[in-house]
Parts: sequence; structure tokens; C-alpha cells
Amino acid sequence: MVKKITAVFFAALISAAFTACGASREYSSDFFAMDTYMSVKTCGTDATGAAEDEARRLETLFSVTDAESEIGRLNANGRVDASDETVELIEKALEISGITDGALDITVYPAVRAWGFTTGEYSVPSPEKIEELRDLIGFTNVKTDGNTVSVPDGYMVDLGAVAKGYLGDRVRDILKNEGVTSAIADLGGSIVTVGGKPDGSPWRVAIRDPNGDGSFGVIEVKDKCVVTSGGYERYFTDEDGVKRWHIIDPATAEPADAGLLSATVIGEDGALCDGLSTALFVMGAEKAEAMWRKEGGFEMILVTITGDVLVTDGIKDSFSLSEGSPYELKVIG
Amino acid sequence: MIKTRTWIVIIAALVVAAAGAILSIRFFGAPGTTAEIVKGGEVLYTIDLDRVAEEYKIEIGETDGDRNVVTVKPGMICVSSADCPEQICVNTGWASKDHPYPIVCMPHDLVIRIVGTNGEADAEAG
Repeated sequence: MVKKITAVFFAALISAAFTACGASREYSSDFFAMDTYMSVKTCGTDATGAAEDEARRLETLFSVTDAESEIGRLNANGRVDASDETVELIEKALEISGITDGALDITVYPAVRAWGFTTGEYSVPSPEKIEELRDLIGFTNVKTDGNTVSVPDGYMVDLGAVAKGYLGDRVRDILKNEGVTSAIADLGGSIVTVGGKPDGSPWRVAIRDPNGDGSFGVIEVKDKCVVTSGGYERYFTDEDGVKRWHIIDPATAEPADAGLLSATVIGEDGALCDGLSTALFVMGAEKAEAMWRKEGGFEMILVTITGDVLVTDGIKDSFSLSEGSPYELKVIG
Repeated sequence: MIKTRTWIVIIAALVVAAAGAILSIRFFGAPGTTAEIVKGGEVLYTIDLDRVAEEYKIEIGETDGDRNVVTVKPGMICVSSADCPEQICVNTGWASKDHPYPIVCMPHDLVIRIVGTNGEADAEAG
């Protein structure tokens, strides 16, 4: 009897302290999909397979590198008869482009390619080439008519800036339909949570430090997405020693340079969070703050090149800077 | 009715169990601070990062264009060099228990992941 109680107590202590799901049984799976690595953890109910299936299904619609996907066919032919879902996501992305004054643009892909960010063969395009690339960017030229999507000659559409966020929304819906009340998924660095942890406490999501190893802080969330965009992973250093990263400013066809090192968006709508994180990185802190005031519906954490961490009022109590962080925390209220 | 003596034994056992758990975590590292090196879906190495005493390197991949060098230090792990085009795995830097970000080399089908979450965070956005 005593041994049994001790064993149960010991096991509970260990499991409660050391798994994301606490005392509940944890199910996890990880896989490559949508050109990235994903992992899904659910507590109490196993539905991780359904999440993986959904990622694979969306990949066949949205992949820019698969010539057979709907986006692949649009880029090859200039038009495609697409599924409702692809049209819906394109329209959503165009809407985000509208509210961000074009800071998000799904037609920036030819520039991303020209800089070498799809192949690793990095180079700074000539001024003439940059000029040409600028003429191939313009979200207002993406037309939808029912299920037919069309773009002008030479244009290419890439839903990469919203697809993982959209997957997050789908995964959350699927897990909830399967009866999951507590889950956390890492979809290539975009985090989506279902509920909180089984003990009722929020999920703790660290945010990567754009200046080095590790993270600079933790945000506590329930039923939210956390998406970060930054230039710290996909970049090269040009001949002048300037770091050139993969997030391209649609206005210049050159890597964004608006004074931010990373932009994190927290909210319920994953596709919106994903698209906004890219857009805020492109537009910089001042415009991001103005947009947050005007549009609302999301919270943000911005890291500036001058070492400030700007946090919006709605999450000031759920965000904490890491101990010994070199950054200065400022609340946008 | 459980005798007082039995209660004393139960409580003593619980105290010993708790103390044991705390001490084992302190001296042996918490279970879960483990890194797995996975290539092609197969776990090649499982490393308890808290029991690493000295830095060492592991070479992964046997042919040119498929190589990653992994560096392991007490409590942390990284890809220190690779012959992949974009170098994203190298740029990702160190992973550790408080920094459970997976290190991924897509072209080489390689992932280094921190298993379990006993650190500061349940996941990491980035």
C-alpha cells in the first residue's frame, strides 16, 4: 500500500513537472510539410495524425515549388481554376495587403527568387534588375472571378506568408472537432494553441532572440496563435558587409529595412497573424503602432535595431522578458 | 482505520520520494532535457544534454552535399557546419531546454529536437 502510494505520487510529480500536458497523457507527432518542420502535441486525446493529414492536403493546394499545386499552375499559366479554399486564402491575403498598405504582398516571389532565397545562390541584383522586379510586384493585379484566379505575365503568387497561419486555423478547428481541449502545435515556428494546459494554466511560448541564441521572453497564451517574422535565419551578408534577409519590401524589391529585427503577432486568427507579422516587419514600428491602433484585433511584440522590445498594452501582463535580457521593454498603450 | 504508525510511514515515504525527485533532478538533470538527432525519420542519436561533460562533435551524413557537423556542449546542441545551400540549420544556433526550437536542415532531411519540455517554455515562435 505504502509503496503504491509512493509510486503514484512520484510518477505524478515527475509527469506533472516535465511534460507539456502535465498529468494528462501527451500525444505528439512531428513531420516535414509545407517546406518546413512541424510538430503537434495534444493532451488527453490523440488527434495528431489529423493535423499532419491537413498539412499535406493544404500543401497540394498552396505549394509554390510544386508545379502541380493550384498556385504552381497559376504561376505557370497566369490563370487557374482554383478550389474555394485557395480563392478564400488569396482573398484574405489581398485583404491584409489592403489594410497594411501593401506591406504584405503575395506577388513578391520573383524578387525573393532573384535574391537567391529559394535556392541559396545569393546575389544582390543589379539596379536594372531591381527595377524590373518592381514591375512584377503588385497585389492589386491579382484578380479573382468566382473560382478563376489570374495574374499578369511574369507575375508569381506565393502564399507562404499566410499559409502556415491558415494551417494553424485549420489544425485548431480539426483538433477541436476531434474533442481536443488542450494542444500546442509548432508549424515551422508559427505556434498555435488549443485551450490552455490541462491544469488550466496558459501555454508558455518563448520568442526567438533575433540577436543571438535562445529567446528574449515568454508570452503566455490560451487559444491563440503566435507568429514571428524576422531576418535572423534566412539571410546572407553582401559585399559591403550588410545583412540581407529574405523578407522583401514589396515597394523596393529589396530586403525590408524598417528598423526591426523581428515582429511577433498574437491573435486568434492564424492567417491574419501570419500575414501581419511579415507586414509589420516590412513597415516598421511607427506604422505598426498606427495600424494596431486603427485595426485592432491583434497584439504584437516588436524588437528594434536599437534594442527596444515594444509590447502592446493587451499583452503587457502576459509577456515577460527573460532574466538578464539586454533589451529594454516598452509598452505601447 | 489506519493506524498512526502507518500514516507516519506513508508521510515519511512521500517526503523521501519528493526529496529523491528534487535531488535526482538537481544532480542528474531533469528527465526531458534530451536532444534527438533525427535523419530521414530515424533517430540516430539520443543525447541527455545535462550529462554532457565536455564539448564534442558528431559528423552526420556520408556523402558530399549531405553533411552536417553537430556540436554538443553541456546543456546545449547546435549544427556548427553544413554543406547545404542556405545554411539555415547553422544560422539557427544553439538549442537547449529553455530554447526548445528545433534545428532543421530541410535539404538533408535532418532535425535536432529537444524532447519533452521541462524548461521555461512549451514551444518557441520564430
